[in-house]
Amino acid sequence: MATKGDLLLQMSGVQKRFGGAVALRGTDLKIRAGEIHALLGENGAGKSTMLKILSGVHVNDGGTIKLGDKDFITGSPQASIDQGVAVIYQEPSLFLDLSLAENVFIGRQPKKGMIIDWKFAQKEAARLFKELGVELDPKRQARGLSIADQQVVEIAKALSMNANIILMDEPTAALSASEVERLMTVMKSLKAANKAVIFVSHRLDEVFAISDFITVMRDGATVSENPISKTDLQKVIKEMVGRELTELFPKTENKIGAVVLEVKDLTNPAYFRNVSFNVKKGEIVALAGLVGSGRSEVARAIFGVDKYESGSVTLNGKALPAGSPVEAMKRKIALVPEDRRQQGLFMVAGVNRNISMESFDKLTHRGMINFKREKSLTNTWKDKLSIKFANQADPVDRLSGGNQQKTVLAKWLATDPDLLIVDEPTRGIDVATKAEVHRLVNQAASEGKAVLMISSELPEVLGMADRIIVMREGKQVAELSRKEATQEKIIAAATTGKRSA
Amino acid sequence: MNFLKKLRPSSRESSLFIILIVAVGGTGLINPRFLTGDGTRDLLTSTSVVALLAIGIAPIVVMRHIDLSIASTVGLSAWAVADFCAKNPSFTWVQCFVIGSIIGLVVGIVNGLLVAGLRLPSLVVTLGTLYIVRGLVYVVSNSVDYNAQEMPESLLALGQKVYFGLLPFTFLMVIIAMILMALFMKYTKSGRDAYAIGSNPPAADLVGLKVFRRTFLAFVFSGVMSGIAGVFYLMRFAQVDSTAFYGQELAVVAAVVIGGVTIMGGSGTVVGAVIGALLVQTIQGGLAALGVDAFWKAAINGLLLIIAIYADRVLAVRNEKQLLTQRIRERI
Repeated sequence: MATKGDLLLQMSGVQKRFGGAVALRGTDLKIRAGEIHALLGENGAGKSTMLKILSGVHVNDGGTIKLGDKDFITGSPQASIDQGVAVIYQEPSLFLDLSLAENVFIGRQPKKGMIIDWKFAQKEAARLFKELGVELDPKRQARGLSIADQQVVEIAKALSMNANIILMDEPTAALSASEVERLMTVMKSLKAANKAVIFVSHRLDEVFAISDFITVMRDGATVSENPISKTDLQKVIKEMVGRELTELFPKTENKIGAVVLEVKDLTNPAYFRNVSFNVKKGEIVALAGLVGSGRSEVARAIFGVDKYESGSVTLNGKALPAGSPVEAMKRKIALVPEDRRQQGLFMVAGVNRNISMESFDKLTHRGMINFKREKSLTNTWKDKLSIKFANQADPVDRLSGGNQQKTVLAKWLATDPDLLIVDEPTRGIDVATKAEVHRLVNQAASEGKAVLMISSELPEVLGMADRIIVMREGKQVAELSRKEATQEKIIAAATTGKRSA
Repeated sequence: MNFLKKLRPSSRESSLFIILIVAVGGTGLINPRFLTGDGTRDLLTSTSVVALLAIGIAPIVVMRHIDLSIASTVGLSAWAVADFCAKNPSFTWVQCFVIGSIIGLVVGIVNGLLVAGLRLPSLVVTLGTLYIVRGLVYVVSNSVDYNAQEMPESLLALGQKVYFGLLPFTFLMVIIAMILMALFMKYTKSGRDAYAIGSNPPAADLVGLKVFRRTFLAFVFSGVMSGIAGVFYLMRFAQVDSTAFYGQELAVVAAVVIGGVTIMGGSGTVVGAVIGALLVQTIQGGLAALGVDAFWKAAINGLLLIIAIYADRVLAVRNEKQLLTQRIRERI
């Protein structure tokens, strides 16, 4: 058992090359027991590569990695597990068909002779869940668990393997505020047990709330290693970006015009009930609340992807028929979905094809696509949104997360919508690109579009929205103006349903 | 009794079993002979080959793979066993099973190496071996057929053997194989790994499961079961030519899917697969008893398959809704 402050793992001068591209050009990282360590950097800085070397997916080309006083063996996930290093990926990799107890003990099931000892596995899993403060039923199937609960199962798995070093890749990206709080409690209890927790996050407020030590990376190299007391937010952002970032939320005051979207008593009993609000020209309205409170479902119902049971949606004064995305698009609604990889993009298709996807009508001549027009459309949006790609026909899955998100935005902005719905527009995007996405959304509003934004990040909600509607368990519990909204008020409404003073 | 309790199938299998009982009862109403010992014996005899193959491919389907070469392997095994016996009159049933198993083993190893070793898609690999193995039967058989007089008497006698007046030897073997496999799939590491691999293949690699070994052995197992099924084929029909069991691979896949093994992997049991095989056979028997033209057989099988997959879908949607409400309730 390590004692607090022991140096568990030391990476020095670690290098990694993929073909011609250099991912790591000499990275240092020191991990101590009983410490929560944040690894920060923009997308492409090399954080994921670092984690993948430690998890055994990649082998480093140069540099040394010491585990205590021994050399760390990389190259297979099994070897990393055996050395006490566990990784919790951004998308939990559970087996949804299996029970939670099975997921915790997968590959290492306790046995009585030849036979798996299910009773022991279930008891042990229940004990671990309890230790983590989240009492899940070990016999339950993993399918249907929230992302937050899936992470708890992954952490229980790591504990059952006696992992000393627990790596988490953007664990809070898909969590709501209260779930983040719960995860932080779990992380603190790991710290109290003298484990080392390394986590990657783009949410800097959380980083400063919980970590003891911050390592910042840029362009494949370590820029700074500081205890939390010796650094601050401005400094970290500067180190990550390499320059001063003037404004994270470039909010402009827009002229607010006529009502564009009017939602009245929208109800789908499984997800939401009696939701009523409107969004005006030039206005940004945020739907806040916990993940699973029905926010995305309301957006999907407005856009016509899902049906609703009662209520009405009116666009520019005319009723919008339910259940028809085609009609919604014709009436100039755009929906940038939460999950860009699954729902927003055709990952293997080119950037040009993705951007022009919804604008075919403008590009066709006698039913045939005019590729010259497609090219100029792509270039227009490439410049407007400063999307970075080498070749127009590059498949989007080769772009970074930020550029992918900009591509989805470009696709929808190219349709010149009256109502732009964005669902978690900056999830998993680095801080500089985040600011750019915010600028783009603001610009859309200033051009007179109505914007409905769903976001779990409170700073984003507070920084961007003119009005905030808070949902809890399918019900609309509060509506706050930009002036009256505070972080505390939103959290209180989202978790208790009450408007606190 | 505790042991029996452990074997109790999950609700998916129990509901299938009830449907099976209803189908058997219904057929019995039309044709009372169906419910007698002879009727049961006929049903079980005619199901043995498909049921054994269903046990063989169920683990593969659970692992999100497929083996289409099984029917061709049955054909090769049946013809080759008959050929060996015709040339060696001293052979008994023992040699028959040994030869059949070895032929199946070889096909299984080839499939396993291609799918697990080279990571080629099993659908295409086994479609290839389906044609190759059947082609091999055509070539080596050279249009020679074999009848009962060329086969070992001990083998045919075993094929006629019936326990308690209704349980044929071949189906007894099916039941034994089913119980062993059911226990294996539920209580051993290899069995659980199969479910994990089918449930989330990339995650299976990440947690360090032995994906190559498990996948390879599943194909070897399916091959061996197909080889033995070839011997069952001889015991039932006492004759064989190069087209033996031609085109029946999808009937087995259908039985497995009707039995609740999800084609997308990760769930289902061998018990379900065997019940699926019995259900298909019973409904065929029932239709024959109703006087429905045999030409309708294929079409009705297809309909059954679609109904089964629809039922699964309905259950899945309901399950999802339940889990969602449970989640919301847990949060309060």
